[in-house]
Amino acid sequence: MGLREFVIRRLVQLVFTFWAFFTILFVLFRMVPGDPTSMFLLDGMTAEQREQRIAELGLDQPLHIQYINYIEQLLTGDFGQSFIYREPVIDIIVVRFMNTIVLMGTALVIAYLIGVTFGALMGWWRGSRFERGGIVVTLVARSSPEFWVGIVLLSVFVFWLGWFPSSGMRATGGDLGGGFVQRYGSLDFLRHLFLPALTGAIVYLATPTLLMRSTMLDVLKADFIEIKKAEGLPERTVLYKHAARNSVLPLVTVMAIATGAAMGGSVVIETVFNWPGMGREMVRSVNNNDYPVAMAAFFLMGSVVIIMNFVADLAYVYLDPRVEYE
Amino acid sequence: MSRGTQSRRNFLRRAGVAGAAGVTVALAGCADDDGADGPDGADELGDQLPEINFVIPTAGANSFRNELGRITAENWEEIGFEVDLEELEFGAHVDKAVVQQDFDASLLGWGGTPERIDPHTFILDMHHSSTTGEGGRNTPGYENPEYDELAELQVTQPDEDERQQTVYEAQEIIARDQPRTYIANEGGMHPYASARVENVDPTLGEGLNSFWNMISVTPLDGDTVTMGYPSEIISLNPMQDLATPDRQFVRLLYDQLFRIGPDGLPRPWAAADDPTIEDDGETYTVEIRDDMTFHDGEDVTIDDVEFTYELYADSPTYSGLVEIIDEIDTSGNEITFHLDEPFAPFTANVLGQVYLFPEHIWGDVEPEDLADFQDENWTGSGPFQFEDWERQSELQLRAFEDHFETPNTERFIRIPGADVSQLVGDLEAGQIDFLGAIPQPATLDRIEEDDDLDAAVFEAIGYAKIAYNMRREPYDDVAVRRALSYSVPKEEYVDFIRDGMGTVTDSTISEHNEFWHNPDVEQFRLDLDAAREELADAGYGWDDDGMLHYGADQ
Repeated sequence: MGLREFVIRRLVQLVFTFWAFFTILFVLFRMVPGDPTSMFLLDGMTAEQREQRIAELGLDQPLHIQYINYIEQLLTGDFGQSFIYREPVIDIIVVRFMNTIVLMGTALVIAYLIGVTFGALMGWWRGSRFERGGIVVTLVARSSPEFWVGIVLLSVFVFWLGWFPSSGMRATGGDLGGGFVQRYGSLDFLRHLFLPALTGAIVYLATPTLLMRSTMLDVLKADFIEIKKAEGLPERTVLYKHAARNSVLPLVTVMAIATGAAMGGSVVIETVFNWPGMGREMVRSVNNNDYPVAMAAFFLMGSVVIIMNFVADLAYVYLDPRVEYE
Repeated sequence: MSRGTQSRRNFLRRAGVAGAAGVTVALAGCADDDGADGPDGADELGDQLPEINFVIPTAGANSFRNELGRITAENWEEIGFEVDLEELEFGAHVDKAVVQQDFDASLLGWGGTPERIDPHTFILDMHHSSTTGEGGRNTPGYENPEYDELAELQVTQPDEDERQQTVYEAQEIIARDQPRTYIANEGGMHPYASARVENVDPTLGEGLNSFWNMISVTPLDGDTVTMGYPSEIISLNPMQDLATPDRQFVRLLYDQLFRIGPDGLPRPWAAADDPTIEDDGETYTVEIRDDMTFHDGEDVTIDDVEFTYELYADSPTYSGLVEIIDEIDTSGNEITFHLDEPFAPFTANVLGQVYLFPEHIWGDVEPEDLADFQDENWTGSGPFQFEDWERQSELQLRAFEDHFETPNTERFIRIPGADVSQLVGDLEAGQIDFLGAIPQPATLDRIEEDDDLDAAVFEAIGYAKIAYNMRREPYDDVAVRRALSYSVPKEEYVDFIRDGMGTVTDSTISEHNEFWHNPDVEQFRLDLDAAREELADAGYGWDDDGMLHYGADQ
C-alpha cells in the first residue's frame, strides 16, 4: 500500500472516529442529571424563569431534534454559545486552551529533554551507581501525586523562600488582555509559569526516562553497536549518534499520546496554582451542565489525541523504514 | 482536610455512645437500643415503612452537610427506618430535589441574601402552596390552607407590627408541621489580612462579600484592595440570570433606589428619603437624589428611573420582579408606583432590587436582547466603576469619585480562585487581602495563629434544612416528619462539625433577623426517645428487629 492510500484510509477512519466521539459525548452529557439552570435555582431564579430559559436553550425539545440541530450547527463550524456565560464558546475555550498549551508544552519539553538524556545515560552506564540512583529518583517522581509535588514546591519556593508568586498567570492590577507576546512573553509571566511547569515536568519525567533507558538496553545489545565500537568510534559518538537515536523511536508514540492528554490540562496543577486552563474549565462546564462548552472542550482535547496518533503513525514510517503502511 | 473531619466524626460517634450512657452529649443513641426500652407502639403490625431515599451533598460539594447527613441517617436507622443514602454533586442534587422532586428527604441549604431579610421569601415563596411546582421553592410540597392564608395576609399588611404578628403565627404553624427540619443558620468566618487592610465590615448573611464591606474596606498601604473568591463571575449584565457572586459585583456598579442596610432594613440610596406610602399600601412615591451621575458623566434623571422600571417590565428574565406594579407616573424629581394590590415587601424586594440603568445606553436594546447585551464599560451610577475584566484572571474596579458614598479604596480587584484552600495560600503569600469564602476549621486555626491574618465572624439568615417530600407516604404524616426532625443533631452540627460557626434554628426565620424572628416556636433538638414517642402515639410499631412498621389499623 502506498503512502497516499494509507493517508486517505486513515483520514476516512478519522472522520468516523470524530463522528462517534461526538455522538457519545452528546448523549453522555445529556444523560448527566441537572440542566444549566440548576446553579441559579437556589440563587433566586423562579420556576417560571427556569422554564423560560430551558425553552430558550431548546432543551425542552426531544433529544434527537437537539442532536440534529447541534450537528447542523457544528457543520457550519460553530460551537455555539455557552449556556451559562452567553458568549461564543470559541472565545471562552481559546484563551484557556492557549494557557494550557503554554503550561503543559513547557512541562513536556522539559520532561522529555531531561528524560531522554537521562534515560540514555542510564542505559549506557548500565549497572553503575548513576543508573541505580537515577531509577530511584525517577520512581519517586513517578509515584508522587501531582498535588503533593505542587504543594511541596509551593511550600519551599513561595512560603519559605518567597521567590515566586503563589498562583495565577501574572501580577494583578496590570493591563488585561493583550496579544500572545504581551500575555506570554513577559518576565512576570515566566515567574508565574515556573512552579506549575516544574510540577508538570516532574510528573511527566518518569515515562520518557524509563522508556528511553529500557530501549537503550535493547539497542545496546544489537550487533551494530559492537561494530561501531570496534570501528574505534569515540564512545560519545556511538552513544549519541547510534544508540540513542535508534532508541528514540518508541518515544515518538508515547510523546504523541502524552501531548494529546496534556492538552486537556491538568485539573490538579491548575487547581493548586490557580492556572486558568482547560482542565478546570472542563470540570466547571460539566458541573454547570454547560453542554456547548463541555462538548467543545472535550472535542478539542480528543481531537488533539486523535490527530497526534495519526501524526505518530506517519512519523513512525518516516523515522523507521522497516515499518510499512498496512 | 478529610482527616480532620474524620476524627471529629469519630469523636461525635464516641460522644453519642457516651450520651446514651447518661453522660453529657446525646447523639446517636446506643447500639443495643432497638426500641425495647422506648414506647411499645402498635401491638399489631402492618407493612414495614419504605426505605428513606435521603439525598445529601457529596463531601466535595459540602463537607459539613455531608457529615451531618451521614450522622442523621444513622440516627434514623436507630429509630427503625431503613435509609438509602444518596450523595450527589450540587447540580444533580438541585435537579433531583427541586426540579424532579424525586426524593424522600433532601439536605440542602437556602441562602440568606440581603433581599431575603424581608420575611417574604422565607414565608411565602418557600412554604405557600402556589410554589410546589417543578423548580418551585416549596420543595416539600407543603400545602396547608390555614398557613396559605397567613402567608398571603402578611403581604398586604403595610403596618409592620401587624405584619410581624402574622409572620410570627406563620412560623409557629410550620414549626409544628415540620415540612422541613430547620437545622442551623450557617454563619461563618471570612479570613482577611489584618496587616494589609482595615475597616472590614462583615455583615449579616454575607460576611466580607457584603456591599458594605466592599465600600468600607481600606488598604493600609497603597491604593488597592484585592479579594479572592472561589468561582468566576459569570456576567455583570444585571439583566442576565445572576448567581450570588455576580450580584455581589453588579450591585457595586449599579445603584438601586434603596439598599438593604447592614441592619437588614432597606434604606434610601438613590432615593432622597423613605417612600411615601398611600392608598393602604397601594401607592408608593419616591423622590430621587439630585446629585447623582452615571460613570460616563451623564446625570441620573427621573426619566432614567422610569425607563429602568419599564425595562424590567419588558425583560423576559425579570418581568416577574415588577409585575405587581400597575402604573408609573413621574413629576419633577418624584416617581409614583401604583400597585395592583398592597405589597408590604415592595421597598425591600422591588425598590431595593431593581438596578438603575442609563437610558442613553440601554434605550435601544430590544427586550429579547437584554440578557445578551454587552455594555463594554458596564456603566451604572454605583460607588465603583468598571475598569477591566478578564473572566478567568481578574476583575478590576475603580472608585467612582463623584458618588455620594465614595469607597475607601481607590482600586478594587477580584481574583477568581480554584478553591478555598488555594485562596488561603494566596492570602498567606500576600497576593490577596481578603477571602469571601469559609475555610475548613483546621485552616481557620492556622489563620488565627498567623499575626498578619484574622477572620471576620458573621451570622446568617439562610440555613441548612432537610426537606421531606410530602407528596409521598409516609412523609405526608406529620408524626413521621416530627420524629425524623427529632433525630437531627442540630447542636452537634454547629458545635462540632462546624466548629462553632453558626447558630441552631427551629424556625424558617433566623434569630439574627431580630424583628421577624419568632423566638417561641416549637423546638426540635436531638431526642431519639421523643422521636419514638411521636411514632408510637401516631400508631406505628416496631418488630422484633427494631424495624418500624405501620400499625395494622393504620
